[in-house]
Amino acid sequence: MSQPTETVTHFPVFQYKAIQSTVRYLLMILFALLMFGLILLISGKDPIQSYKDIFTSTLGSSYGFSEVIVAMIPMLITALAVALPSRVGLINVGGEGQLYIGAAFATFGALTFSNLPGWFLLPLMVLLGMLGGALWAFIPGYLKSIGLVNETITTLLLNSVAPKIIGFLIFGFWHSPMDTVKTANFVAAAKLPSFFGTRIHLGLIFGLILLIIFWLVMKYTRWGLEMRAIGSNPQAAKRNGLPLSKYLVVIMCIGGAIAGLAGMVQVSGFYGTLFLNFSMSLGFMGFMICWLAGGEPLGIILMSFVVAVITTGGNLLQLTRDLPYAVINILLAFTLFIVLARPSFFKGKTP
Amino acid sequence: MTLLSILGVLSSAIFSGTSLLYTTLGEVIDERAGIVNLGLEGVLLVSASSGFAVTYLSGNPYLGILVSILAGGLMNMILGYLVITRKANQLASGLALMFFGFGLSALIGKSFVGDKIHSLTRFLLPGLKNLPLLYTSLFKFDILIYLVIPVAILVWWLLYRTRWGLGVRAVGENADTAFASGRNPHLIRYQALFVGGMLVGLGAAHLSIAYTMNWTEYMTAGRGFIAVALVIFSKWHPLRAIVGALVFSGAVAFQLLLQSSGVKVSPFLLDTIPYILTLVVLIAWGGNRKHSAPASLGRVYQGSE
Amino acid sequence: MKNKLFVLFSVVVCALVLLSACGPAATTAPVAPPAPTEEQVPVLLPTAVPPTAAPTETPPCLIIGATYGGPITDAGYNQAMHEAVVAIKNNIDCVKIIEAENVPDEAGATSTMENMISQGAKMIIATAFNHQYPALELSKTHPDVIFEHAGGWEMSANFANFFGNPPDGWYLMGVAAGKMTTTNKIGFVAAFPLAWTLVFINAFELGVQSVNPDAQTFVAYTFAWGDAAKDADTTNSLINQGADVISMHVDSPATIISTAESRGVYSIGFQNLAAQQFAPQYWISGTGFTLGGKLTWLASTVIDGTWQPIFLRCGMADGCMAIAPFGPKVPQDVQDLVMQKKAEIEAGTLVVFTGPVVDQDGKVRVPAGEVLSADAMSSVDWFVKGVVGSPK
Repeated sequence: MSQPTETVTHFPVFQYKAIQSTVRYLLMILFALLMFGLILLISGKDPIQSYKDIFTSTLGSSYGFSEVIVAMIPMLITALAVALPSRVGLINVGGEGQLYIGAAFATFGALTFSNLPGWFLLPLMVLLGMLGGALWAFIPGYLKSIGLVNETITTLLLNSVAPKIIGFLIFGFWHSPMDTVKTANFVAAAKLPSFFGTRIHLGLIFGLILLIIFWLVMKYTRWGLEMRAIGSNPQAAKRNGLPLSKYLVVIMCIGGAIAGLAGMVQVSGFYGTLFLNFSMSLGFMGFMICWLAGGEPLGIILMSFVVAVITTGGNLLQLTRDLPYAVINILLAFTLFIVLARPSFFKGKTP
Repeated sequence: MTLLSILGVLSSAIFSGTSLLYTTLGEVIDERAGIVNLGLEGVLLVSASSGFAVTYLSGNPYLGILVSILAGGLMNMILGYLVITRKANQLASGLALMFFGFGLSALIGKSFVGDKIHSLTRFLLPGLKNLPLLYTSLFKFDILIYLVIPVAILVWWLLYRTRWGLGVRAVGENADTAFASGRNPHLIRYQALFVGGMLVGLGAAHLSIAYTMNWTEYMTAGRGFIAVALVIFSKWHPLRAIVGALVFSGAVAFQLLLQSSGVKVSPFLLDTIPYILTLVVLIAWGGNRKHSAPASLGRVYQGSE
Repeated sequence: MKNKLFVLFSVVVCALVLLSACGPAATTAPVAPPAPTEEQVPVLLPTAVPPTAAPTETPPCLIIGATYGGPITDAGYNQAMHEAVVAIKNNIDCVKIIEAENVPDEAGATSTMENMISQGAKMIIATAFNHQYPALELSKTHPDVIFEHAGGWEMSANFANFFGNPPDGWYLMGVAAGKMTTTNKIGFVAAFPLAWTLVFINAFELGVQSVNPDAQTFVAYTFAWGDAAKDADTTNSLINQGADVISMHVDSPATIISTAESRGVYSIGFQNLAAQQFAPQYWISGTGFTLGGKLTWLASTVIDGTWQPIFLRCGMADGCMAIAPFGPKVPQDVQDLVMQKKAEIEAGTLVVFTGPVVDQDGKVRVPAGEVLSADAMSSVDWFVKGVVGSPK
């Protein structure tokens, strides 16, 4: 039933494949919803009402929908931060840390250059954010490229270090005069503008543009081809003259830069300030979304949306069903389990 | 640095490192069989919450410990199903298990937050009673702490001196060869995951029942990931894991000591010491890590199909 | 064929589920707010019963939404706030309360409060420290809803602030601790070097010094409001350095107090008086929030339309803070001393932060003859002399 992808490149076939994928994803979500409903039943809660709560608060009102989009924005970007390195076989679970350091660098820009006009300050903050994330990813990338330590471990350890550095910076230097827990609120010039009176901010455009660029690069450029070669067989690629170590470090740094951008986007567009622990597992969510989506940009958009619906909908559940908010993680996990377990009628591209 | 403060750091390290060591030992067994479990956080949380709940309901901490152990084994079975039977990617499955653990533990533990339980009694090893009171209060440990070194030795013995352990290590090195020599890699991996999971559950039990005597959401705060790092740190060897857990917990205790002794360094930076130390040691002595890792760690065994 | 049927079936079910989302959409649209000129609070009738709440027979006179940063059974801050909110219901029967616990971050706070408002809440009580700015933002878009935040400082037409006066209670605890310690080392477990935390520690140490000039307070941080393992680590570390009295500023004191008890060390609780159960033997005392009466009064002003935004700080004399019962090992003369000092504070003859107050480096922070004002307290980033530890 699944066509070999190399032979057909016509537009109509692409469309068909896209619909197939979408249906497949919807099926998986449905199955996960069923399983979660079972858990709700066992805990003595009404699953139908619970689902109604989730969907009404997210899809049933324009405010709810805008909140879903807002939640989606950083996830798009952190998922991409995992997808790019995965093309060359790198596993970037360091999104959390890279995000924080990127946010820290961006905050430095916001606080130090608060007199600059927005059209200069914001791009500066973008660059700073990406620089921060790239720096944080450099160490794991370098260590991996010289074959010393696996990048999974180094990124995980650095994840724990990053928030503490943020704490040091906030409490030690940057705290606002009235409030030691967070920095002063960013000036208007340092905040990404938002649209339509909602909290949806420019970060959405960043995310979408990056995804498009990613898709174009992977599909149509020489680098994309080289990366895929390295990803599928690093030794052969090396023998064929591709500069393996350089690619590993550079791609890891770019992945980190993207995650750093996610951090900048959050503090500038969403919060307007920097405070401790603002990332609620955004890095890991990005990792999961990337895997759910098979590393494909379209899938990333779709799965980010789904995950955002779940996490946003969980807010209302807590009020109306007396369930701890954390329970929504179960629904998330079931969705992941289904995809990972790959039941037979979900046959498709394997991540 | 008085003797008392050094002993104090040691005592803190032992208290805090016991649960870490049990968890690391469990993960050593799993990784020896070739499976990485990034979902240790979730396993720890579910075990801790269920153990705590049962302890509160039954008034018996030993019952709670048993339930914890069982819960750990069962959680790992989920990972096993995904990774072994469904041949899914190990890292993604582990993280999915972590999220599952976040949610399930919150559900289980919700009605037990802030409850007071009967914990394990703490006692001195006979023979130490004659030391001055100042020192004896440092070393009153509970039974799980006293058992952790023997358990580490047991794990070593299991892996290196039994047929089963040989099978586990063979599967971890090369599952195809193991299969060819008559073993069943799937079964062995499931067994390894269960045994490993039980040890992780034991670690969780110590954390919630014996050490903190409390349950709150997300209370493990990253210990699952530290355990994964420590497994590599100890080069997949159970006895070296003891050193790893001691070093990490010792670093935590040491930086706490520094914080409260008026050292003019930001406490945030001091708090990074344990992680940076682990990283540095990994870099410095990780050079021949490649030769000590189980060769097919992380790879999916395709089986004979 | 079977696959295709399954696909069709699932698509239909999906569509049904999504349709259920469309149904009640119209009813959750917010009621057009009344002209925001007067402080009038309309008697609340939810115009459309949200599909998920059970319809009540008589509509409540006020729906209050309360948010907490942690679990309401934590025997700590969140439980104290929860008990105060529940007291409103006990005192004013026609009130309906919606609660959300474990709302730790600002994004969640905003959507949670927004959801509460869409369920008809006309008063929001945000108890977690970091819910202040989300609540403030929402107060701008919902001028008909009253927002009360615990422990902050912002004020606006429909946003105000309330808190107890912990420093007074801390001073008294310091007096007790100073008297009970034999090693002259007192340990303090703190979550973060927040201004409030530093103020509490300073008040505590000032109290200690007033009866025991040589005693010092050692501070270590866990960097989390509820990391039980870190709490235990930190408590043990302080005890290992010789501290024989432990106190804390974290959300839930349970682990710290249990750990101190298991080491045979005195403990002083904070946030909630229920913490005593964790230390039956070595409990000295504790100070906690008892804001039920004040919150009831605030709610009643909302109901009868007389609510005014005030910067509310109330202390022991007003019943907002309380001292826990003393533990079995506290001698009578210590108890009497503490109660006597308490009376002096309530009478105003003893003010905790009266100058001169000197910090760790010897710099004078409050000159002689002056008093540290309540506003200045939120920007404190120093420790008094006698506290060992880093304030940032």
